[in-house]
Amino acid sequence: MHGEYKMPGGKLIVIDLDVLDDRLASVQLSGDFFLEPDDALNTINRTLIGQSAAADRADIAAAIHAALGPEVTMYGISPDAIAVAVQRALREEPEA
Amino acid sequence: MMRTDWRDHDWQLIHTVPQSPSLHMALDDVLTHEVGAGHRPPTLRIWEWAGSAVVIGRFQSLRNEVDMEAAQRHGIEVVRRVSGGGAMFIEPGNTITYSIHAPLSLIKGLSFQQAYALMDEWVIEALRTLGIKAWYQPLNDITSDGGKIAGAAQAHRGGAVLHHVTMAYDIDARKMLQVLRIGREKLSDKGTASAAKRVDPLRSQTGLPREAVIERMIATFRHRHGLTSDVLRADELARAEALARERFSSPAWLADVP
Repeated sequence: MHGEYKMPGGKLIVIDLDVLDDRLASVQLSGDFFLEPDDALNTINRTLIGQSAAADRADIAAAIHAALGPEVTMYGISPDAIAVAVQRALREEPEA
Repeated sequence: MMRTDWRDHDWQLIHTVPQSPSLHMALDDVLTHEVGAGHRPPTLRIWEWAGSAVVIGRFQSLRNEVDMEAAQRHGIEVVRRVSGGGAMFIEPGNTITYSIHAPLSLIKGLSFQQAYALMDEWVIEALRTLGIKAWYQPLNDITSDGGKIAGAAQAHRGGAVLHHVTMAYDIDARKMLQVLRIGREKLSDKGTASAAKRVDPLRSQTGLPREAVIERMIATFRHRHGLTSDVLRADELARAEALARERFSSPAWLADVP
């Protein structure tokens, strides 16, 4: 499943995922955003894997926020914007 | 760490013979670390390209961004860079690309937007002296009355900031669209109408050869910030060549975000 979201004033955020037993699986975040340090990408992917497919936008954003340490900086992307892309993937709304 | 000003640093210029796309990726990495470690003064590097390339951002999906079959057909090397941002399509002579390798002190306390704006003030001035009304367009673009000119990206590593920019001099839009999977929304962002054959904001708005635009950019940087001509050290080049081989031309790095 594939979802895209152009964050207002930000960059394009893309989520590819599968759902297994009502949980997110093989989640891949991608896009033209800026994220430091770069291994924060994998932290976000790992955090999303296993989340309930019924989780709402706020739950997903909170889980990402909690997983990222204070050293992580984001430009053109945010936990909330990632949550929107996840929700779009779950509803198969590919267009940004 | 105190905030520093451009003039507090002894800026060096590196502008060498054309190099391969993967070596450029590696040089960005090596020189940024060298500046961060204090082994090299802050440096402006102007790139010359030995071959055509698609350079994708650190976090872009290879599959979503690039038609690999079309890239191979056109003999285009596809590489992933260390910084975020979007894909660039490059043919030798068609773009102007540069990197600034600076200590983090230069952007200390600045927001991302302020840091991007600061790093390209000299380019905006150079373009204005060439008659182009250009400005910084957040988050990471330089644009003009005649459309988008450039995309910038920054990465912080080892005590230094890498700020690199690719400017469109005269791009073959038809070929670019064969190789990059660009949606309609993104196309308008690139400042092109779908019917355009060339994306040439620098060539069409200056009427100057690419080399003359680069000369003016170098002169403007030198006037504002000071600039001494330098060369790559043998150990820097050797490390970059090893990194280009082992990392930046490896399939694993290219498909790190599949």
